[in-house]
Amino acid sequence: MARSVWKGPFVDGYLLNKAETSRASGRNEVIKIWSRRSTILPNFVGLTFGVYNGHKFLPVQVNENMVGHKFGEFSPTRTFTGHSSDKKAKRG
Amino acid sequence: MSGQRILMGVVGRPHGVRGLVHVHSYAAVPADLASYGTLHDDRGGGWTLTWRGQGIGELRGTDGQVLRDREAAQALVNRKLYVERDRLPEPEPDEFYLADLIGLAVHENGAVIGNVLAVHDYGAGSSLEIGEGSRSLVLPFTRACVPEVDMAGGRVVIVRPEEIEVRPDEDDVGEAAE
Repeated sequence: MARSVWKGPFVDGYLLNKAETSRASGRNEVIKIWSRRSTILPNFVGLTFGVYNGHKFLPVQVNENMVGHKFGEFSPTRTFTGHSSDKKAKRG
Repeated sequence: MSGQRILMGVVGRPHGVRGLVHVHSYAAVPADLASYGTLHDDRGGGWTLTWRGQGIGELRGTDGQVLRDREAAQALVNRKLYVERDRLPEPEPDEFYLADLIGLAVHENGAVIGNVLAVHDYGAGSSLEIGEGSRSLVLPFTRACVPEVDMAGGRVVIVRPEEIEVRPDEDDVGEAAE
């Protein structure tokens, strides 16, 4: 069952404060979080979070297409590396 | 980079009785495997692939002959198919083949700290996993964290970002945002 709209999206409150502080500093930093359940909000766009997957903190560079998803969706707990073949990585 | 071979696929089970085989393509776009021309296997053979269906291909040897029957196809099961690195198209600026990145030496403040072990991308930007002795470090693949990628020199230069830990307060269990 979907979450009621009147509640608004769930996000751990301390993330909001830290995101604001990080944005104001403008430094190259990764915000390490354990809160995989928090929803990505528009004011997180442009920041980089390290989301814990039970083993390590995987970098999540938030862009506007990710708003509304949960942090945990971008930090899988089971890893399949696959084959590199002709796959490419783009430097952000 | 020259002379390097990249694993692009593997021959699967035979399909039917006319020498067709299932081909497992590892290419980013699976159908592109046929566009790389001659595929080399791990026993020195060369093959040209033509797709005949979803994941089903016809392999033609360097002598121009296709596989005659199911037995010939069965003999190729699990044969790995490689492409020479030189045959891959040049990537866009600021794009890198994973095969090129993996294994590069990692420099930080002028010292070598390890190698690139893997490149991850789970939909939130690419990141480099760097082997640092017995530990590993995962860094975002951005200009700020990886300012220099020197393919000719076989190295990348990294700048570690500041890390801020955000631990939950005991009395702050969550809230709804406006």
